[in-house]
Amino acid sequence: MKKINDLKNLAKKYRRDLFEKIIILKQGHLGSIFSMMDIVVTLYHCSFVRFDEKNKTFLDKVLISKGHATAALYPIMKDFDLIPEKEWNNWGHKHSLLRIFGNNSIPGIDVTSGSMGHGIGVGAGMAISFKRTGKNKKVFVIISEGELYEGSTWEALLFAKHYKLDNLTVIIDINTLIVLGKTKDCLNLDPIRDKIAGLGIKTLEVDGHNLSDLISTFETSKKLGELNCILAKTVKGKGIKIMENERRWHYYNLISEKEIQQARKELT
Amino acid sequence: MFQRDAFIEEITKKLHQDKSIYFLSADLGAKALDDLRERFPNNFLHCGISEQAMLDIAAGLALEKNKVFVYAMTPFLSMRPLEQVKCGAGVMNLPICLISVGIGLGYADSGPTHYSTEDFACFRAIVGSSIYTPADALSTKLIAKEMLEKPKFSYIRLDRDILPKISPEITYSDFNKGFKVFGKIDNKKIALISHGKMFHKCLEIYNKEPNKFFCVDIFRSKPFPEDLPNKISSCKGIIVVDEQSPSGNLSSCIFEGFSHQNLFPKIISKSLPEKYLFENGGRDFLLNKYGLSNDDIIAATKKII
Repeated sequence: MKKINDLKNLAKKYRRDLFEKIIILKQGHLGSIFSMMDIVVTLYHCSFVRFDEKNKTFLDKVLISKGHATAALYPIMKDFDLIPEKEWNNWGHKHSLLRIFGNNSIPGIDVTSGSMGHGIGVGAGMAISFKRTGKNKKVFVIISEGELYEGSTWEALLFAKHYKLDNLTVIIDINTLIVLGKTKDCLNLDPIRDKIAGLGIKTLEVDGHNLSDLISTFETSKKLGELNCILAKTVKGKGIKIMENERRWHYYNLISEKEIQQARKELT
Repeated sequence: MFQRDAFIEEITKKLHQDKSIYFLSADLGAKALDDLRERFPNNFLHCGISEQAMLDIAAGLALEKNKVFVYAMTPFLSMRPLEQVKCGAGVMNLPICLISVGIGLGYADSGPTHYSTEDFACFRAIVGSSIYTPADALSTKLIAKEMLEKPKFSYIRLDRDILPKISPEITYSDFNKGFKVFGKIDNKKIALISHGKMFHKCLEIYNKEPNKFFCVDIFRSKPFPEDLPNKISSCKGIIVVDEQSPSGNLSSCIFEGFSHQNLFPKIISKSLPEKYLFENGGRDFLLNKYGLSNDDIIAATKKII
């Protein structure tokens, strides 16, 4: 397992790489990507998602239900040699496999997503297939807090609980913001933990940017041996001051040269 | 025999050798399903009355190379989870087979919430879908066999009622073409094209006046049967009969299929009206009242002559 400092540096490097891409692309969802960056760095680089070196493939599945943030995985997949350097370099310049919204034709991306509220259902389908065929594989589904507005999310949670999908972990990226503002002001979702626990699903809470906290929470989740849901408190746009907790950074915004330089400094 | 029992029986047979088959239901039953559930509980998933999650779960199962069949009443399978169908089976090109029971006014007298007079247009619109509407149990079995051998994103439209056997029956060689012609094609005759229950009306009309009509059972409407336009283009005109609302029904499909081959015969659409039906009286009463009686279909020939 990597040291906390190494993980921090990796998360910063990935944020920097993606920031540079988004500046070129002039589109994308940096706020949502950055809020879940530390979560995915921990999952992949602390072997909670197991990698088969020989066959160059992940044994476990990670579904980014909040498809607008799937790009968070691209630099990670590049580091695992799944996404070729050329595809990464071409992105934003010429033809490339990579897209703003991930799809399962991209190496290492397990599902096509973008529309909200599908991830847990798809993950439950995979998880039940693994269980019924005796495969030792785990499924992690990362959803946004906003996906709790979708009825299909709750339908799928009911299913996962009923079928005792102990190989499924749902991670909710709670950055408190949706496009028009704070969830508590737009249409209150709280208390999220009580609502999920009310279904009989074990819940854990974590600071989604504290790497040692994330590691210990994923360890606990693993040991639980039952379906569980991790509520990760995060900051939208984490890592660049002008983006942090700013709802407008759900999407790409015009950014001045001075702000670009400042952001680069913060990500160095 | 009910079409649903015919279809499910084929799945149960196949399950003896293929355990990668999963059958998902949103709380719709069938006699044959009781048998499948009892024999193969590991391959059956009750998804609750949650059609949207059911389609997402189906996508997850299909991504893991399973053969997935989802089953529900047409009104709830076709429109409630339409976006899940698009994002799963459609966008990811997954071999999910949707078995839909109760097309058209099949659930008379339940009213418009239970009628499915728009499902055909909805599913035609989704990229990559295949659509089958069999007119009897035997052709339903052929479709089931095909979906088990060559799984693909498909929408199977079954009738709620038992439909009579078609004679002569649909054979394997007809099956690949996607349609079967009944009667001799002639430039003095009018073609009656339909599928499912409505095809039986066409067959009745043809049997009474074989010199005036021939008829076509288009049990696979998507992909459109490529051989059909040239085969019947010499006819005097076409009447398309469909138990659907006027927009995007089988007649649109026929027009597009012919026009793609630069053929523009006179096509008359016989469908239900642009309104939701609330009256009681049963399916035949409603069909007769709203323009789909045999006499209504025959009267449409005047527009061609």
